[in-house]
Amino acid sequence: MRVSSFILVIDSYLVRKGMASILNHIHRVRVVKEFDTPEPLVNYIQNQGADFIVISQSLFQQATSLFISRPDLLEKTILLTGDPVRMETDNQLSSLTAEAQVSIRLSEKKDEIISKILNILDLSVSGTGSAYEETLSLREKTIVRLISMGLTNRQIADELFLSAHTVITHRKNISSKLGIKSISGLTVYAIVNNIITIEEVTSKPSE
Amino acid sequence: MITREMSMCQAIIENMQLLPLFPRFNMKTGFGEMSVAEVCNAHQVNIDFFMEIANAYLDEAYIPQEGLALFSLETVVEYLTSTHTYYVEIALPSVEDNILKMLDHSSLSPKELNLVTAFFNDYKKDFMLHISKEEEYVLPYILELEKQSALENPDPAFIEKLQRYTIREFEQEHDSLETSLEHLSQLIIKFLPPFNDFQVCHQVLSGLSDLVNDLADHANMEDKILIPRVAELERQLLDRHKTK
Repeated sequence: MRVSSFILVIDSYLVRKGMASILNHIHRVRVVKEFDTPEPLVNYIQNQGADFIVISQSLFQQATSLFISRPDLLEKTILLTGDPVRMETDNQLSSLTAEAQVSIRLSEKKDEIISKILNILDLSVSGTGSAYEETLSLREKTIVRLISMGLTNRQIADELFLSAHTVITHRKNISSKLGIKSISGLTVYAIVNNIITIEEVTSKPSE
Repeated sequence: MITREMSMCQAIIENMQLLPLFPRFNMKTGFGEMSVAEVCNAHQVNIDFFMEIANAYLDEAYIPQEGLALFSLETVVEYLTSTHTYYVEIALPSVEDNILKMLDHSSLSPKELNLVTAFFNDYKKDFMLHISKEEEYVLPYILELEKQSALENPDPAFIEKLQRYTIREFEQEHDSLETSLEHLSQLIIKFLPPFNDFQVCHQVLSGLSDLVNDLADHANMEDKILIPRVAELERQLLDRHKTK
């Protein structure tokens, strides 16, 4: 499972802890760092990196220069705004605000916040490929299916008109994507993901 | 949350999920009126470390105090090793026993039986491999790092190694142990024919779920407590080397 790392940059202790508690209940999320000022953020991002930054509006304003120099960070930024959303008088700031991934209002309900976060996570998975639990390609699924049916690399190669070498490369990619190496593990994976039925599986799933 | 001053009995009654931790600290029951701190003291357990582990277990959102090097990495490594022993000697065998019991009284076809047993055997092999890799390479590396950091003049060979390998590489590795167990639960719940003995099926599923949760906590503690401390030590050692 791909776990996304979150940094919280929120001045209010209560809001920060509340946000951390909601985020940590999402299975795919890990809060790796909390700050109450924006200053340490630059250093942390450079050394450790993170998938997302949740930042409160006031600290975002203080850190304008950071976001201007690192526009790539805006893609990872989740803004926490007061309610109602304050109209920005500063043009630069309002365009930065518009670039942020998404805004969460303090008044939002837990479910709404969670669904916004999940939405962002899904987008990041299907988008840039920065996520590490990639889903299998169609070709890889076909290969997992044939492995589960008990075919050897050679037989798979013949079946799909590929070289044995290519099949081996595919198998390596599959194992590193799923973290599963054994044939039995791949077989069960294929069954629970509806790539194959138990009836189609070979009667001897062994190495 | 538990505190140092509360009675250990009260701490447990209110937080039963802490129980699996006790054998890892060589603690059994029979605490009488002793407080959490007194029990730790009597068992020569570092109280700061115990509090950190217990609270990390109870609160997913718990974040360790920064900059507080209150316990040695050696303490952490000892704890990890005894957790591994718990997995290998208690948790996995108990899940396996229940799986065998469940299969014994089932009407599964030979193919389905084979699927489950082959899966679990391979899983055990992967699990052991993961643990032995940690115990043979990662944990000794951490101990060595702590030792070298304390030296006035660290071994140049170690510094050179440090420039090539850091703890962050190891961090990538540990998700699949949990997901594979979840696949097995899904297989049982969704795809295999119903089992005659529902009680034992229940035991298998709750055993799997306990193990998944424990592994997740274990990974959490490695990610939140161990790895940041190790990465910090690595950084300090490399910095010292650079300024020389």
